[in-house]
Amino acid sequence: MTTTLTRRLLLGAALALGLAGTAAAFPDRPVTLVIPFAAGGSTDVVGRIVADKMGAALGQQIVVQNVGGAGGSLGAQQVAKADPDGYTILMGTVATHALNPLILKQKPYDPVADFAPVSLLVLVPNVLAVNPQLPVNTVQELIDLAKKEPLAYASSGNGTPLHLSGALFNSMAGTEITHIPYKGSGPALTDVLGNQVPIIFDNLPSASGHIASGKLRALGVTTKERAPRFPDVPAIAETLPGYETYSWNALFAPAGTPPEVIAALNKAAVAAMADPAVVARMKDFSASIVASTPEELGAHVAAEMAKWEPVVREANVSLD
Amino acid sequence: MDLLNNLAMGFSVASSLANLLFCLIGVILGTLIGVLPGIGATATIAMLMPITFQLEPVSSLIMLAGIYYGAQYGGSTTAILINMPGESSSAVTAIDGYQMARKGKAGTALSVAALGSFFAGTVSTFLVALFAPPLTAVALKFGAAEYFSLMVLGLVMSVALAHGSVLKALAMVVLGLLLGIVGTDIYTGTPRFTMGITEYADGLNFVALAVGVFGIAEILRNLEDESDREVMTKNINRLFPTREEFREMIGPVLRGTGIGSVLGILPGGGAILASFASYTVEKKISKHPEEFGKGALAGVAGPESANNAGAQTSFIPLLTLGIPANPVMALMIGAMIIQGIVPGPNVVSEQPQLFWGIIASMWIGNLMLVVLNLPLIGLWVKLLSVPYYVLFPIIMAMCSIGVYSVASNTFDLYAVAFFGLLGYLMSKLRCEPAPLLLGFVLGPLLEENLRRAMILSRGDPSTFLTRPISLVILVMALAVLVLVFLPQIRKRRDEVFTESDA
Repeated sequence: MTTTLTRRLLLGAALALGLAGTAAAFPDRPVTLVIPFAAGGSTDVVGRIVADKMGAALGQQIVVQNVGGAGGSLGAQQVAKADPDGYTILMGTVATHALNPLILKQKPYDPVADFAPVSLLVLVPNVLAVNPQLPVNTVQELIDLAKKEPLAYASSGNGTPLHLSGALFNSMAGTEITHIPYKGSGPALTDVLGNQVPIIFDNLPSASGHIASGKLRALGVTTKERAPRFPDVPAIAETLPGYETYSWNALFAPAGTPPEVIAALNKAAVAAMADPAVVARMKDFSASIVASTPEELGAHVAAEMAKWEPVVREANVSLD
Repeated sequence: MDLLNNLAMGFSVASSLANLLFCLIGVILGTLIGVLPGIGATATIAMLMPITFQLEPVSSLIMLAGIYYGAQYGGSTTAILINMPGESSSAVTAIDGYQMARKGKAGTALSVAALGSFFAGTVSTFLVALFAPPLTAVALKFGAAEYFSLMVLGLVMSVALAHGSVLKALAMVVLGLLLGIVGTDIYTGTPRFTMGITEYADGLNFVALAVGVFGIAEILRNLEDESDREVMTKNINRLFPTREEFREMIGPVLRGTGIGSVLGILPGGGAILASFASYTVEKKISKHPEEFGKGALAGVAGPESANNAGAQTSFIPLLTLGIPANPVMALMIGAMIIQGIVPGPNVVSEQPQLFWGIIASMWIGNLMLVVLNLPLIGLWVKLLSVPYYVLFPIIMAMCSIGVYSVASNTFDLYAVAFFGLLGYLMSKLRCEPAPLLLGFVLGPLLEENLRRAMILSRGDPSTFLTRPISLVILVMALAVLVLVFLPQIRKRRDEVFTESDA
């Protein structure tokens, strides 16, 4: 508790100093943005789009480095241990800064104490979708069917936000839909399109093409509100009040990074998220832009950990 | 005649000056990275993606696709010349290709590989154009049970990869299976055989393993005795195949193309089986199976064609469904999204220029590769005359850079060193590395699909027999098994009878 408090104070001081204009020296060389997943995934895509514009705002190139592995933990760990000078930053996600720390028995890093928050960039909705051959059209019909016969849902892997979205659904709806993990969202989608598995929880961006073409039937989005791109798809919360999950992407620097550097990074990130090209891409992506302050991101991480803790416990997910 | 119109549109897109240029850049880059041992297409495409943001979507995808199939071409060059396969598919080429090179037929091996690849590329490009949607429907019929049966078939075939003792080959397959288990179990999240090292949580790196057991081991073997060192340059024959060799390669190339095209469509790892399957088929039907492993032409022509055909048809699930068949395809999807194209079944109808442009560019790219590579063969072969004290350190350095660039993971380098030593030990014990690699590649897929099929069937193993496609594949596996062991059983019986007669 004391550490968080000191950190908050430090951050406040940080911002004040940053505004005073001592940030002039940063950055004088390229900044490395570590993406803790393989190239080509949704976090990678968001990271690369942002890195391009953020680099322009900083006046220095931002080099993207993919350090995939262990569900994002390897990349996050690398940034946690990096020099706190702002030249190594992380594209964190709900996995690296809420789920993994809750799930992993051995904690490779502390999501709060080891990082200095920079900015919460975007929120990405997830979606519950079924193969059109499954005779259900609404979330309620799915719940009724699941109570009568055994069903299974595909997800991008054990301990991912999508697995836990399903776990939360099961616990709130009182169903026991079996979880089938895959190595990533691509193979999971393939099996649902081929009706090998009838149900999927997926990121909305990766499923949106299939929903639009009718190869998948979207039953509900996992956010509290409907997604602007799919106004006809209800929110799951309309059937299960209080149901809410989403993925998010946020920038973090190592703990101890000078406040004026954090301020400079935050300013560049906020500027990048306001760029019309970025706004257009994020809209295609069904991602909603937040572009928060460092303090807001700090509070967000705490809120996310508090929200997922009971879900993780109830779903009994733990990894060594 | 929609197809002709579409193809004409595709060619008009792909043959614009700018797109031709990007295609050329792509295939040259691809050939280069393929030739440099260890550096794979995945790492290169990941590094180059930022550059493509500034390009038109079609141009950037044409260039990235060019890198991909260019690397497939280039990868076989190092496999043949220095026994250093950079991708799982060229591991098979290394078996007989490298032996051909040792016999002074490096030029022949390289040109057979190039011509076979070109033919396969041409045929499979047209397959993609003609049958992409119906083929996708077939691919979607493959569920966990079918993939499991396919992997069983692959493992049964792997025994035929051995050209020495069947027992040792089986031992290597099993060792490969065990090495494939290293990493996090996807169903329970339990880390297995990682020795507490988080860097191995996603398993051992294939490139590290392949570079170690093939390349580094070969270098060590060459260094052990000054007088024994291979001098391949002294007896290099002409670079191009004779008329007789041409006739010899027609059959393997045709069969390889067929096998590769079919397996490439399956998104769950079917393409990796293509070159292994082709090699097995060629060895089985050859009149001289004893030549395999000692520099058989068919052992290069077949797998190379299969590999390239598979590389092309693996675009089918990507283009028609927006589903990646391998990590490179996943990167291409990322590139599409960044360009503002939502991958999915609508790409064909909403972006016909993109779809048909890429297909047409594949054929143009393949043509460029042949034109580029045939004259280069002389140059590659000359590389072998570089003295070993210059060549070996360069190869080692390139390997290390390449392996590290895949995931920026130092533990992959330790793996290269370890598997280099293991490979050396294996060569001393006369155990072959190819069955080990196949076991390593197939093991995780076998397990993943077996368990998924069992979860889906709620623990009922009859699912493998009641699903028709799965049943057919299992029957085929049984047939292969009988074919492999029958001659031996008969031989043993004959021996027994002769003994009792005496």
